[in-house]
Amino acid sequence: MGLGEGAQRRIAVVLADVFGESIDVGREVAAFLDDYLRRVPSRAALGLRVVVWAVTWLPILFVGVPLPADALSRATRVRYLAAWSGSHVYLVREGFYLLKAIALMGWGANLAVRARLGVGPLAVVRG
Amino acid sequence: MTAEVADYVVVGSGAGGATAALVLAEAGRDVVVLEEGPEVRDEDRGLGSVASFMHLFRDRGTQVAMGRSVIPILQGRCLGGTTVVNGAIVWRLPEDSYERAFGSIGARDAIPLAALEAKMDRIERDLSVAPAPDRLLGGNGSRMRDGAAKLGWRGHSIRRNVLDCQGSGRCLEACPTRRKQSMEVTYLPRAARLGARLVADHEVRTIETSAARAVAVTGRRADGSSFRIAVRRGVIVAASAVQSPCILRRSGIGPREHVGRHFRVHPATAVAGVYRDPVRLWEGATQSYEIDEFRHEGFKMEVASLPVELAGVRLPGMGAAFQRSMADYPNMAVWGVQVLAEAEGSVSPARSRTNIEYTPQRQDMERFRKGAKRLAEMHFAAGAVRVYPGVHGGPDVLTSPDELAKLDDLSLDPRDWAMMSAHLFSTCRMGADERSGVVGFDGAVHGVRGVWVLDASALPTNLGVNPQHTIMAMSMLLTERLAS
Repeated sequence: MGLGEGAQRRIAVVLADVFGESIDVGREVAAFLDDYLRRVPSRAALGLRVVVWAVTWLPILFVGVPLPADALSRATRVRYLAAWSGSHVYLVREGFYLLKAIALMGWGANLAVRARLGVGPLAVVRG
Repeated sequence: MTAEVADYVVVGSGAGGATAALVLAEAGRDVVVLEEGPEVRDEDRGLGSVASFMHLFRDRGTQVAMGRSVIPILQGRCLGGTTVVNGAIVWRLPEDSYERAFGSIGARDAIPLAALEAKMDRIERDLSVAPAPDRLLGGNGSRMRDGAAKLGWRGHSIRRNVLDCQGSGRCLEACPTRRKQSMEVTYLPRAARLGARLVADHEVRTIETSAARAVAVTGRRADGSSFRIAVRRGVIVAASAVQSPCILRRSGIGPREHVGRHFRVHPATAVAGVYRDPVRLWEGATQSYEIDEFRHEGFKMEVASLPVELAGVRLPGMGAAFQRSMADYPNMAVWGVQVLAEAEGSVSPARSRTNIEYTPQRQDMERFRKGAKRLAEMHFAAGAVRVYPGVHGGPDVLTSPDELAKLDDLSLDPRDWAMMSAHLFSTCRMGADERSGVVGFDGAVHGVRGVWVLDASALPTNLGVNPQHTIMAMSMLLTERLAS
């Protein structure tokens, strides 16, 4: 189970705003998510895939705008994402943190991000 | 190649299984060790969190306990088990923990503390156990040391099973320089040199019995094919507090009212502090310093040097605010509190997975709240300029010790806390008879001959200290008895 091309394109826009990064970094993180979904057990993959779908398609419920998340204005999208992360409903809040936690592993593996933070390579360099 | 018959089959190659295998091999027994996960090759080490989860952890790091909240349950799944991916912490079983676990079930004569301590002496020699030297404290450990000293709290460098540690901060990814003295570089190869056969990628599903005696194990290889190995003397189950009860349940072995019940953990959470000067979490031992001042209040505190890809999950903020938080990462110290929880859950097998149910009690959450406040207090004492408690509904950030009182109002709802656990216990707990437990004081499963459980699942309860050492000592003691 992975992300289709369209799902990957949409969630890349969302993730770029979650992390305050460029769309290029967002695309890399979305590609990471796609790969991750293909590798983890199906039950975990299904849960994460549902969250990706919900974050992409439910602005209508959270901010009242009948558009997918990637089509929102940046200001509205940030407000929308804040509604997820600060929700009083545990499953909503935890679903967002699940997405953020997995996406963070892709973000933290990004070479530009690591260089900016000065944390060295993701894997040990073998001589 | 898999043997078709052996004196003993040891199921699982972590702390309990590897120790049992070594003792049996030393006694001249014909032993096969079956490990569900893969071998750990040098090229699999130190590859970062994602690769480590994918290759070395159960369910690729996605295993969770379900209850009122969702709690990640981290376990190694590779040759060497969780010892490959833990923080190398070695805690001698304190007397109060011994009383809690073994004294409370009337096992003082059968498993005396002195006998366990004698085994711990040997294990510490074998695994080069020593306190982390100052050079390995790193910015994270040295700040905890300084903060505790200012507050007058009892703390110490962590005693670790590492030989000539290089301080790469990658204990959780399988030590890239093989300095950690985990089972795949110590007891397992020693057992193999004495004739034990180590077989990776073999998952034991059931134990076959005939006339209430174990006669074989059956299971499936990583490629999906099945296998069966007959046993002359018996089966030692050491597949962890999650997998061991599942094997017994699938096999119809052991008292049903206890197998998979009484699941206990040390749930843990972390509090981050940001300092004026660099901390550099990626330098030094992954876990180098700890505070046991509050162990008798039910919690213990340790440094937890998390990599950047794991450290930012609970930091507040989105977009530019997240960037500002993460820009602090080089100056961030991360400390954890692990709780001696009184809640009990359960573990049960399902068709293709394991169901784990667990919800902390109110008393456990009160310990979390106290522990989080103490961590924040210690951060400020060590010089932190900002502290992130990471609890939903509480303050996102504290900027002064004057704000610590705000943490007295932190929620006691487990759903508001980010918890995890890697210390799992008691799903095949020891008891004098089948009315009180799954195994007797010799580790033998009640009601069947030739099956022993020698891992954390046999411990009568959680310990309040890191369990690897106790698991190994108990396994060594009881295996020596059965081998003789």
